[in-house]
Amino acid sequence: MHGIRLVDDPTLSTGALKMSWLSLRGRRRAASRHFRALALAAATLALSASACHRRADSARAISRAISFEASIAPQPVRAGDETVSIRLADASGHPLSRARIQVEGDMSHPGMAPVFSDAAETAPGSYRAPLAFTMGGDWVVLFHITLADGRKIEEQIDVKGVESR
Amino acid sequence: MTKSPVALIRSAEEAERLDDEEFDGEFLESQPFDLLDAPVIGRLLQWRHSRTLLQIPLLAVSVVMIFEGLLGPTLSPKNMATVLTWVHFRGALVLAILCAGNLFCMACPFMLARNMMRRWIHPRFTWPRSLRNKWIPVALFVLVLFCYELFGLWASPWLTAWVIVGYFAAVLIIDGLFTHATFCKYVCPIGQFNFIAATAAPLEVAVREPEVCDSCGTKDCIRGRRDASSPLVVLQRGCELALFQPAKIGNMDCTFCLDCVHACPHDNVGILSRLPAGELMSDPHRSGIGRFSRRNDIAALVVVFCFGALMNAFGMVSPVYTVESWLKHTLHFDSQATVLGILFTAIIVIEPALLLGLAAWITRAWAGVRNGWLAIAVRYAYALSPLGFGMWLAHYGFHFFTGLYTIVPVTQNAFAEIGWPILGDPRWTLVGLPKTVVEPIEFGFLLLGLAGSLLVAWRLAEDDSEQHPVRAFAPWGVLCLVLFVCCAWLMNQPMDMRATMMAG
Repeated sequence: MHGIRLVDDPTLSTGALKMSWLSLRGRRRAASRHFRALALAAATLALSASACHRRADSARAISRAISFEASIAPQPVRAGDETVSIRLADASGHPLSRARIQVEGDMSHPGMAPVFSDAAETAPGSYRAPLAFTMGGDWVVLFHITLADGRKIEEQIDVKGVESR
Repeated sequence: MTKSPVALIRSAEEAERLDDEEFDGEFLESQPFDLLDAPVIGRLLQWRHSRTLLQIPLLAVSVVMIFEGLLGPTLSPKNMATVLTWVHFRGALVLAILCAGNLFCMACPFMLARNMMRRWIHPRFTWPRSLRNKWIPVALFVLVLFCYELFGLWASPWLTAWVIVGYFAAVLIIDGLFTHATFCKYVCPIGQFNFIAATAAPLEVAVREPEVCDSCGTKDCIRGRRDASSPLVVLQRGCELALFQPAKIGNMDCTFCLDCVHACPHDNVGILSRLPAGELMSDPHRSGIGRFSRRNDIAALVVVFCFGALMNAFGMVSPVYTVESWLKHTLHFDSQATVLGILFTAIIVIEPALLLGLAAWITRAWAGVRNGWLAIAVRYAYALSPLGFGMWLAHYGFHFFTGLYTIVPVTQNAFAEIGWPILGDPRWTLVGLPKTVVEPIEFGFLLLGLAGSLLVAWRLAEDDSEQHPVRAFAPWGVLCLVLFVCCAWLMNQPMDMRATMMAG
């Protein structure tokens, strides 16, 4: 260090701290305030998280009562236009007609453009949607389903290793 | 009049430095621009708490990212932790370095947490002498790149959140035990990335008038300023990274914390403009670092920085899967880690060893440079830094620009998820700039990097061989061109981003 010693920062040294009782008490109060603020923030986030989970649980409960099948053709899935086929049925196996299904394709990497498509019913309970995979890689296809009675379901399938053209 | 030790050091270095930097002088004949003299921003930066002001929002965002990563949507493109980390943070970081300097270290949220901790916990140990080098950061840098590919960190909000938590924990543990900025200087892989990249930055924290330092008797820039009545009480910290301003050259190890700016009693430290990468064109003794040519560890860091950029981009294009599949079937390895380990060893260790070794051998044999081949390789390795930075800029810039607006729907969604949809329904169609706009920018970054590397290599060659500078330069010029072609080829490959490399 060219003859200059790098001195330890005395603010970091216990012995160097010359703190009056008043300022110590002030700091304790400040620390207490900080902890209360942190606890409040944590509680808010925890409540929010539990609210999110409750909504997700509700959607899952509906989803369990519905039979959902999806497939993509042609295989293997390549970047470009593909067709997504969906079959919806109730718990007893009866096809569910007149559902609105929006299909959304997202890449596993954030920041990439998602692709969207609306499915058309081709037969009772059978739907079909075009989906254009814009690049190779791992995709997740989301299905935003609104049943004829207004109930909403979210389903997803992983489409790994879409091949580049 | 007897010269002070500082003045002696300066006079010993000055002639060489001035000679070496004659070239820079052609560009910077006029008084350099000083950011601290700029209206508004200059006054803000001169405020003692300016760093804290910058750190607070980043710390708040980090906390939100941790919660969102752990509790938010599991799908990476819809989670703030992954979007901010892997799209915006990385891109903003390299662009800030390109346009100004090491601004992320300046606003580092980890250091704010550390400073808060050090109000109550006081480190008692000094970092072991044997570890005061960059070998640990080199290993950690490679480990981060390796884990990024192996675990597909970009695809996992949960893992991304734990990476942030782990980073905070590492900072608090290391700087809770060891004095000064041990984590920044000897551990932090992000910091080392920034230090190497910032050698190509246009701004540098530097002394305004060297003569003022010659007459300075306090050296507050490194010692800090103390209370006159209680000498043990520090009023202002000096440089924690052992960079003594009068002998500091360049951006290596500088976190832009501005402690030296605030400590200097003569108001003689500024944020000055300079020739980007100019600091790599000469090899003076640098405070807190020494000579670059004698720092094999920093040279290794530059090599990892440059070839790691290639590896990181290679992991996201289609040909990587062909290579992996071939390795898997030829060598009968089923383990993804093993195959990835082979790829990393080939690209980050064997390839640079062969290329730099060959270039150094040709320089020695053809240009008559007397140094050993390792010394030549170490000296010229620094010339690869601008090209490596160009590659990181092209890669991270691509994600940043093409995903620029994705933060909008992700933020809308985060508010909606907590039952407070004040920003409306998420507009997932908002993405970013079109590729047709971004691709020329990427190519421009690569060209800038190439130009910088060629310029640095040429300057070093001129110093090494007055008689045959072209011969000394040629192997390194060819190496830079080869790497540039590799980078350009990679950027033109179809993107193929898989979280599991061997899935295909």
